[in-house]
Parts: sequence; structure tokens; C-alpha cells
Amino acid sequence: MGTEQIISMKQVRKSYKMGSEKLNVLKGIDFEVNKGEFTAILGPSGSGKSTLMNIIGCMDTLDSGTYDLNGTPIHNTKERQLTKIRNKEIGFIFQNYHLIPTYTVMQNIIMPLLMRGKDRKTAEKECLETVEMLGLSKRLDHKPAELSGGQRQRVAIARALCSKPSLLLADEPTGALDQNSGIEVLRLFTKLHEMGNTIVMITHDMNVAGWAERTVRIVDGEMYQ
Amino acid sequence: MLFSEILHLVRLNLIQNKFKVFLTSIGIIVGAATIVCVIAIGRGGKADVAEQFRNLNAGALDISYEQSESSGGAGFSFGGGSEGFPGGSERPSFSGGDFTPPSGGNMPDFSANMNSSSSSGKSGRSSGGSSRSGGSGFPDFGSMFGGMFGGSSDAKNTENITLSADDMDDITASVPGLSEATITYTTKQNIYGGNIEDTESYTIAGTLSNYAEISKLSLLIGDYISDADNENKNKVCVLGYNAAKQIFGSAEDAYDSLVYIDDRPYNVSGVLAEQGTVESGISADEAIFIPYATGIKYLTGSDISPTITVIAEDVDNISAVTENVKTVLAANYPNAEFTISDAGSKMEAANKSNETLTLMLVAMASIVFIIGGIGIMNVLFVSVKERTQEIGILKAIGGSRKDILLEFMMEACCISLIGGVIGVLVSFMVSPVLTSFNIRMEMSAAGAGIALAFSLVTGTVFGFYPAWKASKLVPVEALSGE
Repeated sequence: MGTEQIISMKQVRKSYKMGSEKLNVLKGIDFEVNKGEFTAILGPSGSGKSTLMNIIGCMDTLDSGTYDLNGTPIHNTKERQLTKIRNKEIGFIFQNYHLIPTYTVMQNIIMPLLMRGKDRKTAEKECLETVEMLGLSKRLDHKPAELSGGQRQRVAIARALCSKPSLLLADEPTGALDQNSGIEVLRLFTKLHEMGNTIVMITHDMNVAGWAERTVRIVDGEMYQ
Repeated sequence: MLFSEILHLVRLNLIQNKFKVFLTSIGIIVGAATIVCVIAIGRGGKADVAEQFRNLNAGALDISYEQSESSGGAGFSFGGGSEGFPGGSERPSFSGGDFTPPSGGNMPDFSANMNSSSSSGKSGRSSGGSSRSGGSGFPDFGSMFGGMFGGSSDAKNTENITLSADDMDDITASVPGLSEATITYTTKQNIYGGNIEDTESYTIAGTLSNYAEISKLSLLIGDYISDADNENKNKVCVLGYNAAKQIFGSAEDAYDSLVYIDDRPYNVSGVLAEQGTVESGISADEAIFIPYATGIKYLTGSDISPTITVIAEDVDNISAVTENVKTVLAANYPNAEFTISDAGSKMEAANKSNETLTLMLVAMASIVFIIGGIGIMNVLFVSVKERTQEIGILKAIGGSRKDILLEFMMEACCISLIGGVIGVLVSFMVSPVLTSFNIRMEMSAAGAGIALAFSLVTGTVFGFYPAWKASKLVPVEALSGE
């Protein structure tokens, strides 16, 4: 297996202003993820893991350092381009699912493809296989409010997978789920990993992190491999 | 993102929030309905003006004289009609050297003008004891003392002047650029005949043969008064459409029948087609037209105050013609001020007042639109706030600023357009109600189009800012609902 890097971060620093004080959230992070890896970033609340996830997900900028995502230097990229990168390279799975409540399951799932400029029919066709794999075929016309937490998270995973991204980025994917549903989702992650997907999962739960192939810790803005 | 897909998403959002969309668009509904109605009322007003003035020639000038009330009034006045110099024979009247003799030996109608004994025996030119320039040799006591004793400093129009066909001839001979001229008068007379059992009062108009053409009157049956009728003072008449119906039941029955005016039989030589209501001039539908000279001879005598109408060849030349007419009249009647009204100005004034009204209503409608637009803006701001997370999700999964901007803009435009369409429908439902209040409305597709365009513009203008704000949201902040 080759060692093609999907994520390559070097000395990434990020700080926020809290009133008159400067809060250093990330203090020189070095982090790499190879293609096909399932990595967990484990850290307690306030450790900087959410900030790191936002930077990995191209939703926030870094103050200094370098970040290459699948060969693209994100640290030098403008917002307009970052939007395209988010759409093409990253599949987001959020703790609170972040589904659009007024859309049906299918409409939610195909959104990234629509954003890419595809028409509805093509997008739906491309998503069918994923939908079947995740057992959502009978729920396509339902609204998110009509689904259980586990089902909603599966819809979110389907949305992330459909655009065939380089990286699946999951932020506390089991945080809002009961234990059984959480395990079900984690099994699914394992399956996706086995299928060759690159997954980065952020969690504060050591048990959840245990499902990953590799775990890195982040404490007080510093990373421990 | 494909535009068609953006529209599809907009449709989904609007369907999800039908009631909110309706409430939001109420301002636009009212605005659009107002615009359509305003345009319809404006068009109706314009049509009304055109209809009411259709008998007027744009180049027509009406010249008439009204004697001032102070003339011969209370107090010690030497003015027109005073006892100081009674009788035309004592103070002969000259006009440019020619003396107008008494007309045809006919007895003047003393009863018609009891207070102007001085006018008796004259055919129309200056009458009464007033001064006429032209070297009469008599001092104008009326002018000299009018202000002192007459209770008025304005010595004008104290004379009892009667315009005549001679004045008309003077004007046509001296004023260049005239195509036609005619003279008319109206009087109220009791008539009977046909179905009228007792007598009834009707407006009798004494006209020349060219009046029909000048006033754009068309005949339903028969002929208008001819020059020969006028010259021979024939007792013939032409009935207005309503007059014919009221007197005889129909135009056909009226034709070639007899109408008794002041107990003299007049043969109906023609009936006019229906003209409708008119703003100015003789209301032709209700009037009875007789030859000018016939009326002077049998009905009014020469003291009736007629109106001379001249038609300027070039409408743009109307002010010069007016000045020339004034000059000619001033030479003949130096102390008189004539009322000269031109039809074009009347039409223009009526149109202007109509336009002003329309503008006012348009301004009102614009205010309604602005309020409606602000309503849309408010709702969209609330919507952006409510949907901050949704915007964050869209941005996180690759929605561009353009996509977000377009989606919210399209939502605003659709809400406005829906409001516009409902507003137009409402206006078409409301128009019969307004019409029942005697408001003339001419509904038009153009009005509906303008209202829809206004709605769309309002939605675009007022929807832009909230949409722009939405598109500027930072994904991380939007996702966290901040």
C-alpha cells in the first residue's frame, strides 16, 4: 500500500482574540494522514480539537504553518476556492447531523452533488448505491424529523459519501446517539474504512477513538501522536 | 449550482412556508392591486377627457362677452345702459367708419333685454349708451366716472356689447391663419309637439351651417341646417339624439315632423347621432339646433350674447391667433374685455389635472410598494436568522456565495411575484366595485404588466440585502448558529 498523504500539516497555529487577550488554541500542530487511514483525534473539551477540525475541513483559516490537503496548499487558498475544495475533497459528518429539516432524505443526500452543478436526476442516480448500502432506500421521502438519531446520522454519512470525497471528516459522530446507534455508526465507519475511505474522526471519548486504526491526542492545543 | 436546481430549492422552501409567504406578500398584493387600479383610473380619466372634449376642435377659440354686473347697477353711474345717454340713435355707434343700421326693420325683443333700452333697434354691434371708440365725439362718462361713482375702479365690460356675425366677419377678414369661423348662441325655450302633451323647456342653439362640422357632429338621419335655411330664416331644426327620443320616441319618428318652439312650427330636417356627455360647448344630445338668423328673428332678438368660434389652421399657432383676435376686438371695443378660451388649453388643463391625479395615485402606490418591500426585507432577515444553520450546512458542503445569494434573492423575487399576481387578480375583482362608485376604470394588460414588473423590482431590491448578508455568513459561525 502506498503512502500517499491526504493531510499534511506543519506547525499550524491558530489563535483567537477574547476581549483584549489573545488565546492560542493551536500551538504548532504537526499532523499527517495517509490515504485510507482511519484516524481518531482524541481530546478533552477545550483542547482545540474543534478548531483543528474546522481547519482540516477548510472552514477556518490558520494563522501560520502549512496545510496541504490532497496536494493542495490550503494555507494559500482563497475562500472561493476553499468552497470548491470542501465540496470535492471533504465529506462532513457532524455530531448534530446538520441535515436541512425542510428537505427529504434524498434531497439532503444529493445536496453536495447539486452544489457541484449536477442536475437532480443524475445526482439521485449517483447516490442510489450508497443509499442502498446504508439501508436508507425506504426512507428517501421522509423528512429528517421523521427519522431516529441513528438513521439521521446514516443520512449524514450518505450525504458525505455521495460526493466521493478524499476525506471523511467526522466530528463527534456518536455524540448525539444512544449506545446501540453509536456502535452501529462506528461499525459503519469501520466498513467504510475497509472499503478504502480515509476517515478522520474527532472525539472526546476514548472508547469511540478505540474503533479507529490510529489515535492521536490533542491537549491544550498541542498534539501527541 | 444549476439555476433550475436553485429554483427547485426555492419552490421547496416556499411550499414549506405557504402561510408565511402569503403574509409576507400582503404588502406587494396591495401595492400591485393599487398600481393596476391607478393605471386603470388614469386611463379611464384620459378616456373621459377625450370623450368629453371630443366635440372640441383643438384649434378652436371661443370668443364671448360678459357684461360686468356693475354696469348700470346701483349707484350713480354713467356706464353702459345708464339713463344718461339712452338710445342708440342719440349716440350712434361706429365701427371703423361703418355704421350698423337696424336689422331688417325687425322689432327688437324688448322683453329679452329690458334694462338695455339703449340697444334697441341695433343689430348687434355696440349697444347701449356706452362709448365706442371711433370718434363719436362724446366723452366716455362711463369710463370717466365709473370708478368714482359706479363703485368699481374697473371700467371694463360696463357696456352692453352684443357680438354679431359682423364681428365674426371682421375677425376672419383681419386675423390670418384661420380656417373656419362660426357663431352660436343658446337659449331656453318652451317647446311642444310629438309626444309632449304640455310644454317642456329645451335648449335651443342658433347655429350656422358649418357648426356641425366644426363641432364634429354627425347625423343619424336627415341633413344639418343649410346656408339657405339661415339666409331665408327658415323654420327648420335639427334635434339632438336624446331630444328626438324624448319628444318623438325615436329618431325616425322625429324626422320630418313638426316641433313647436315658442308656438311656431319648425320642421325637423335631421336628427344627430348620439354624442354622449360633453365637458364644454353645447350638449348636443339634449339640444335643438335651429338656423342662427331664424332664432334671432323669432326667438331671441339681436340682444342675445352669442359666442364666436374661430378655428386656427395650425394648433401651434393658437397664441398668435388669440393675440390677433384680441387686437381686432380691442380696436372695435376698446373698453371691453372678451373671454377668449381655446379648446386646446381646456383639453390640456383637463389632461394635466388628470395626469396630476394619476401621478399622485402612482406615488401612493409606490409608497405601498416600499412598505411591502420593507416587509419582505424584514421577513427575509428573520428567515436568514432562522436558517443560519441551514446556510452554514450549505456552505460547509460546498455551496458558494453566489448560490446562497441567488437562492435568497429568488425567494424574495418569487414572494414578490406571487404577491404581484395575486394583486393583479385582486385589482380585477375590485374594479367592478370601484366602477359602481362611478369611477371610470380602463383595465389593461399593460397595467398588469407594470404592476408585476414593480413587484419583481421591489422583491429584487429589498431582497438583495438580506440575501447578501446570508451569502457573507462564515460557515463555522453559521453552523454553530451564531
